[in-house]
Amino acid sequence: MRLTVNGNPIEIDAEAEMPLLWALRDLAGIKGPKFGCGIAACGACTVLVAGQPVRSCVLPLGQVEGDVTTIEGIGRPGALHAVQEAWIVEQVAQCGYCQAGQIMSAVALLDEIPNPSDADIDRTMGGNLCRCATYPKIRAAIKRAAASTGA
Amino acid sequence: MRRLFAIALFLMPGPAFAQDEPGLIEWEGLYRVFSHPRCANCHTEDDHPRWSGAHYGEARIHPFNVRRGPDGFGNPGMTCRTCHQETNSPVLHGPPGSPDWHLAPQEMVWFEKSSGEICAQIKDPARNGGKTLDEVAVHLRDDALVAWGWEPGPGREPAPGSAEETYEALKRWAELGAPCPQG
Repeated sequence: MRLTVNGNPIEIDAEAEMPLLWALRDLAGIKGPKFGCGIAACGACTVLVAGQPVRSCVLPLGQVEGDVTTIEGIGRPGALHAVQEAWIVEQVAQCGYCQAGQIMSAVALLDEIPNPSDADIDRTMGGNLCRCATYPKIRAAIKRAAASTGA
Repeated sequence: MRRLFAIALFLMPGPAFAQDEPGLIEWEGLYRVFSHPRCANCHTEDDHPRWSGAHYGEARIHPFNVRRGPDGFGNPGMTCRTCHQETNSPVLHGPPGSPDWHLAPQEMVWFEKSSGEICAQIKDPARNGGKTLDEVAVHLRDDALVAWGWEPGPGREPAPGSAEETYEALKRWAELGAPCPQG
């Protein structure tokens, strides 16, 4: 089956039931989205499908409707996404394992609410767990990204 | 004195008699469906879906700070469909799925509501999506997300009966005057 990932068409030879995360990591070699819990309970595998955040570990390939965006697709070296820039300035990451998922949820939030309140941030980010408890820095980075884009 | 008491008892319309009314017997079957955790968990009064039912133990608020959002489909950046896909996850403890997973509108409250309260809501077009009872019956029979309640997948207790049986029961209840119990 054919997917569009980060703007590139990709041919995937897999069963329709295969989770999108497996196809991305094991077949397409796109390693940004991480396997955490495998049951949509931690958020490490979050990607965007048609602009909406999805836990790719539980989304079967046969149900992917729209272009897929992973953390590799939102910016590139020298031209990072505002959220990535803010993450660096705030030094959010500790171990870093959950951070790709955190950033993708933050991107989805800012796409719809350019200047989110603390409550908006909590409602979106509650599904992305961080065992290093970087939550205060995540919140600060989202606010920094919002400010940097002129919201 | 004893004779007077017996006469008074005979004249008093006791609740036991009222519950034998055929329409109320039909309603009791419908109430068992609507109040079942498979249905009521997403018919809540507040912002949160619930996790409850025989296999959950005590009722819990859906974790991850999941909330209703402006339209019942969740909030920007974390909608119901962020985790709930069109089918159940096949993985143990994975999220259930059905098309258009969402919370029922806030005025359609069933969770921890009495039989009489749920009955009044079902009949009230102002709180049932502007539906006639015939339309409510068709919704119960044909809606994909409602149908999930009777086939929730392994490890989850299904709602009693089936979509078709519930449709038929609601039609019979409507034909019997759609009576509601007290309370």
